[in-house]
Amino acid sequence: MKPETRPDVHAPPLWPHTLLAPVLAGAAVLLALIAPPVIGFILALFAGAVCIGSALILARRVRQGEQEVHELDLRLLQSQKLAAIGELSSGIAHEINNPLAIITQELDLVREIAGEGPDCSAADRAESRDSLREIGKQVDRCRQITHKLLNFARKMEPVLQEEALDQVIEDMALLVEREALGRGVSIVRDYAPGLPPICTDVPLLRQVILNLLTNAMHATPEGGAITLGTRRDNDKLLIEVRDTGCGITPANMPKIFDPFFTTKEPGKGTGLGLSLSHGIVARLGGTLTATSTPGKGATFTVSLPL
Amino acid sequence: MAFRVLAVDDETDFIETLVKRFTFRQIPVTAAGNGPEALALLDREAFDVVLLDMRMPGMDGLTVLKELKKRHPLVEVIILTGHASIEAGMQGMSLGAYDYVLKPVDFEELLEKTRKAYERKKLNEARNTA
Amino acid sequence: MAEPIRVLIVDDEERFRDTLAKLLTRHGFTVRTAGGGTEALALLGQAPCDVIVLDVKMPGLTGQDALPLLRAACPEAEVLVLTGHASVDIASAMIAGGAADYLLKPCPTDELEGAIRAVYDRRQATRPR
Repeated sequence: MKPETRPDVHAPPLWPHTLLAPVLAGAAVLLALIAPPVIGFILALFAGAVCIGSALILARRVRQGEQEVHELDLRLLQSQKLAAIGELSSGIAHEINNPLAIITQELDLVREIAGEGPDCSAADRAESRDSLREIGKQVDRCRQITHKLLNFARKMEPVLQEEALDQVIEDMALLVEREALGRGVSIVRDYAPGLPPICTDVPLLRQVILNLLTNAMHATPEGGAITLGTRRDNDKLLIEVRDTGCGITPANMPKIFDPFFTTKEPGKGTGLGLSLSHGIVARLGGTLTATSTPGKGATFTVSLPL
Repeated sequence: MAFRVLAVDDETDFIETLVKRFTFRQIPVTAAGNGPEALALLDREAFDVVLLDMRMPGMDGLTVLKELKKRHPLVEVIILTGHASIEAGMQGMSLGAYDYVLKPVDFEELLEKTRKAYERKKLNEARNTA
Repeated sequence: MAEPIRVLIVDDEERFRDTLAKLLTRHGFTVRTAGGGTEALALLGQAPCDVIVLDVKMPGLTGQDALPLLRAACPEAEVLVLTGHASVDIASAMIAGGAADYLLKPCPTDELEGAIRAVYDRRQATRPR
């Protein structure tokens, strides 16, 4: 599929910057050389203003262009991922059409021969038997294909294990801690004692916590702290990742779990982590929420059923 | 619970100690010094849990993990490494590792994690044959 | 008695093309089969045909790439695309490339036969006598 291209008609022209500005500035400089000092000074200022103005406008356009490319990349990445999943399952589904086509034909043949009644030859009877054998073979093939499809669907389902919550998250804390300490950010544990074990998909939950801790580390300035806490709230177990970073503005709050949303500079971070984490927690039967005081920090809470 | 462990690490001292400790607990363990060796062993024999180092000469840990999961998707992998990189951690976990553990690690803890990884393998197998 | 319609089946599934050939032969068609585009071109080189039943997804030369070559090798033949992969893009590309019709597998044999006859009759009606 061809990517959409912006019609060049709408792009502002470049010639004012590549032709007009240099010519004006150059002419002003040359004139300044032969003009009396006061006029020369004014011409010099004019030349300077033209150059700086042109550079600023071009820089803004370049930055806009970069951001647009980045956004398109993200959309492409996400849609590629979705397309890959869609292609995979539709590819597997299409595979079934071939054995079904063979079965259809063999059945047509068997019906025809059966329709001949007692007049059918020995050769035809043998054909019939062969067709039935082939139908059996193709049914087997269909079964293998549907199993492949089911296996693929199963991979999306969580595998539940019972584990102490601290055990699930501590290794991810240790991993982030090494890098965090290098940045002057400490990770404080606040694990509630005596919590019942959680029943969840352990490696999936680890991925979520790793994502939250990494985000917290990037948001927290040197000297700051991240608190990783666990506690119980009635029939839910909560994991909280609290940071003392810049926080989330009220404007951004509703968007933080959107697939492409990122506050990082273009080129850094894909903005897919939080939305994936949100999806994983939902798949685990829980919720991922965030609260924040802009300027003071943010708290991400994973709430899971006991 | 007799499960089979494959330990992949190029640090010979570390691997020898590890093998001794698993053997002492009567858990069958095999050692591999690099990625290709490990993959070859996995093709020939059945293992339940792989302990995988990240930084090895030749094939690095993530490449081994990718290949491993392609050929033997049910085998569980615990990354056990001195390489503390969040980037590698995120990639490893999203490639399907069970855990990312930094050396040095207490053997009893490692043993418990290995047991848990094996438990997950059994649960997955039960589901696949259902 | 009308001349038997000459059909060339191009499909990489051996059992599929063999049984289809069997069925069509029983119903009065003259049938040849080819496992791919290259084989089909070779057969057309030996003798022309009236209708080509063409699969899309084949190893080597795909149906899409083979279409123009087959039409060039045998301009009097009509092409019926018969494929297990439903895709609007490929369908329109094939029709634009000169295929007369586009059918999806699995397809009951009588429907396929009907389509072969229809496409042949249409061609006969437009042919100058």
